[in-house]
Amino acid sequence: MISTNDHAACSGCSLCLLVCPMWRHSRDIALSAHGYAKALQHGASANDIAAELWSCTLCGACDPVCPEQINVTGMILDLRRRLEHVGSTTVRARMESEALRPLAIQHATVKLLPDQALLESPELLSRIAALLGIPVAEDDGADIALAVEAGIIIQPQRMQRFLASWRGLKKIIIADGLLLKHLRQLLPAMNFVSLGEALSTHAVVRRSLRATDLYVIEPRAYHADFHRLVKHYDRLRAESGSAFNLDLQRIAIPATSRSLPQRLGLIAPDDNEQARWVLHGRRISRIVVESLEDRAAFEKITDIRVVHLAELAEDKVCGK
Amino acid sequence: MFKFGDNSPPAANQECRLPYRTFPATFQYPAVEPGTLGPCPVGSDALQGIKRQQTNPSRWKGQGWQDFAAAIRTAGTELREQAAARGTFATDAGGTSYGMPHGVVVARNAGQIADLLRVAQQFQVPVTVRGGGLTTEGESVAFGGVLLDMTGMSRVLHIDTDALTVRTEAGIFWHSLAEELRRSNMDYLSAPLNLTSSVGGTLGVGGIDVNSPRLGCSADQALSLQVVTPTGEIIECSDTKNADLFQRVILGYGQFGVITEATLKIRPYTPLRMHYFYYSSLRTAIEDLQLLDRNDASDYSGILTIMDCAVNLLVAFDTDEREAEFKANWQQRLRGYGEWSFALHMVGRYALRPWKLAEAWYLFQRKRELFPELHRSEYMRDNLMFDRSVVFSRAVWKFWGCKQMVIPDLATSADKFAEAVERGNLVCRKYFPHYTLYLVGIKLRPEHRPHYEMSCIPADAGDWAYGCEFEPMIDGKVYSRDHFQSFKNAIYDIGVDLGGSYYRFGGMMKGYIRRVFGDEVVDRHLAMKRKADPAMILNRDVIF
Repeated sequence: MISTNDHAACSGCSLCLLVCPMWRHSRDIALSAHGYAKALQHGASANDIAAELWSCTLCGACDPVCPEQINVTGMILDLRRRLEHVGSTTVRARMESEALRPLAIQHATVKLLPDQALLESPELLSRIAALLGIPVAEDDGADIALAVEAGIIIQPQRMQRFLASWRGLKKIIIADGLLLKHLRQLLPAMNFVSLGEALSTHAVVRRSLRATDLYVIEPRAYHADFHRLVKHYDRLRAESGSAFNLDLQRIAIPATSRSLPQRLGLIAPDDNEQARWVLHGRRISRIVVESLEDRAAFEKITDIRVVHLAELAEDKVCGK
Repeated sequence: MFKFGDNSPPAANQECRLPYRTFPATFQYPAVEPGTLGPCPVGSDALQGIKRQQTNPSRWKGQGWQDFAAAIRTAGTELREQAAARGTFATDAGGTSYGMPHGVVVARNAGQIADLLRVAQQFQVPVTVRGGGLTTEGESVAFGGVLLDMTGMSRVLHIDTDALTVRTEAGIFWHSLAEELRRSNMDYLSAPLNLTSSVGGTLGVGGIDVNSPRLGCSADQALSLQVVTPTGEIIECSDTKNADLFQRVILGYGQFGVITEATLKIRPYTPLRMHYFYYSSLRTAIEDLQLLDRNDASDYSGILTIMDCAVNLLVAFDTDEREAEFKANWQQRLRGYGEWSFALHMVGRYALRPWKLAEAWYLFQRKRELFPELHRSEYMRDNLMFDRSVVFSRAVWKFWGCKQMVIPDLATSADKFAEAVERGNLVCRKYFPHYTLYLVGIKLRPEHRPHYEMSCIPADAGDWAYGCEFEPMIDGKVYSRDHFQSFKNAIYDIGVDLGGSYYRFGGMMKGYIRRVFGDEVVDRHLAMKRKADPAMILNRDVIF
């Protein structure tokens, strides 16, 4: 597939608006890929639209719908690299310190790379590792994930250390969808699988899904491999009868709309509207999420039980 | 009762944050004799070979902009004047007209738009309204003045599943409306087969779907509208309330008001049972399409051509009962082939014409690319097609879309249709190696005749009008603007010759309006326009 990060290819069709959570919230073209590209085509610099660029949640929904096949998230990350984020110094320092940390040897052919939210929930992380029967990577690359999102160039020493920890690996299961996309571009020969796909392929998990569930796909990983995963989740839908957070174009509707400053806790998240839209009009008895951020968003606005995919098996045993 | 051009101050309960001023009594309209107007002075994009007739000779050149901008900001409206914001709206889907507004306003509510239009009248600043921007001749491009971006008003307000109606802000994309309706297991009646047409824009020009032979054009599903008139009054109108305004706003090319909210008919959602029939003769396919329409034999019908010798008649149904009825009574009467028998037919055809193997290869390639897109597993379940608008729209963007949407069209009465299509097909052949025709019927509603005057609905159409879009396949080639425009004009000339009309995405073109409708009708509407819009600010140069 031809894909370019170049804003010049944008024809202004507005298809990206239909799936953009930021546009849905603001109803303002300036806060959409269409708006960024057109502004740049008409002479704006990345600095002129800095606020708009930082507001993007990088959910990636616009990537598969762009008829010009622009790699929209790639375009936005390129533009972010021209900006200086308030947290850049901290992220760089963290990468430097990670690069110097001694590497412990782990012998495995498959590893799990957790995201920040999972690192903060060690109990769930161990449960996932046990369910999948794989170890958690010693170097989780959380600082690299943050650097990718902030548009910070990753230091070569840090990347070297990160990749050195993968010696002998055949497959890596990654919880952070943006990091997964980045690494897949960097190392196309390596077998990367999103945590959502890995768990939803597990027989116990699949059997535990019910027709009255709402299954919430983590959008970043899904959109990064849309053309393959749309079939995967369609099979899961046919098998389970569950509802999915998919729109009519089969794009995943994000349950959160957190920009980087919100993810870093610099601004309070304001994504109730998005989670409400996912639930709007649905008659369901349980919400099944792939991401812990989504669980937190739903728990704020509904009494419906919210479970992580990895908790499904236990949920079934307990008859909940 | 609302009367056009009533410039009395607004009622006490009407929102008005600005000191209301009537149009200056001393203002003199430019001396213009209807039907004898000079050529338009603007016009790098004027139609080739046809001088743009100017009905508004004092084209605005930016006079009083700063005072206008100050007044608008005093009213609390954000006006964006940065080049980047203005450049976002520099062209439309047609991509052959380019213009820059002086400023952009994102629509937020009817009161804000009323303020904007009142001040625009006062300072005689043009206001161009844009929804999805899917016009093809620059109708939604602002050549100076204000660009009003209606997508800022795009929320669904209320769905009534008992009364089968929806109230929505008019800047909403039909696709977004479908998303909301589906959560209530509802669907709109008919809408253009692309994802980014707006409701307000479509109601102003027409809108066709593959169910239009049964349910009419998209504009016919509007039950009532909230409209902001060019002088800034906020008025609710329908067939029974302020009917004269309703009649002019529906299919009115945005001349008589800005549609801010619409109440539309809706229906329970159903997936489709699809059937495809293949023809090697365009005329035979058209005759069969009209046979189905006349006899209400299908719920959806339309023709898509791949080549002159490969024509696809699409027929679909909402229920098993309707499908069974079709199979029992009508399927045998259709002269089209099934997919495999048509393939055999084509093998025979090209075996006898080996010098046309390149054509056969193109056809094969086209089938290989297009057909899987119409049968994607995520949109098909148990042989039913879910989300027809997505399936067809994706195909349109993928296989016909390009940076320039070059899709001229014709609308005629049923009896002139085959001739119009055949003549248009010859024009396509002259200009492009490959092209597609999309043909569909439009059921007309006798009670809506007043809506249809000077619209895309041909004046001589009976129970059905028929529309055909002529879509060249650009295939990565580069054509000049003149080539495209010349092609479009050749298609439009057929409409003039046959006494038809144009099923425009964005409205009738100014260069053709008098040739198509004649001076008497146009002058009558122009008089109404002048009364309703004294400074002629709203959507200037689209038709007047």
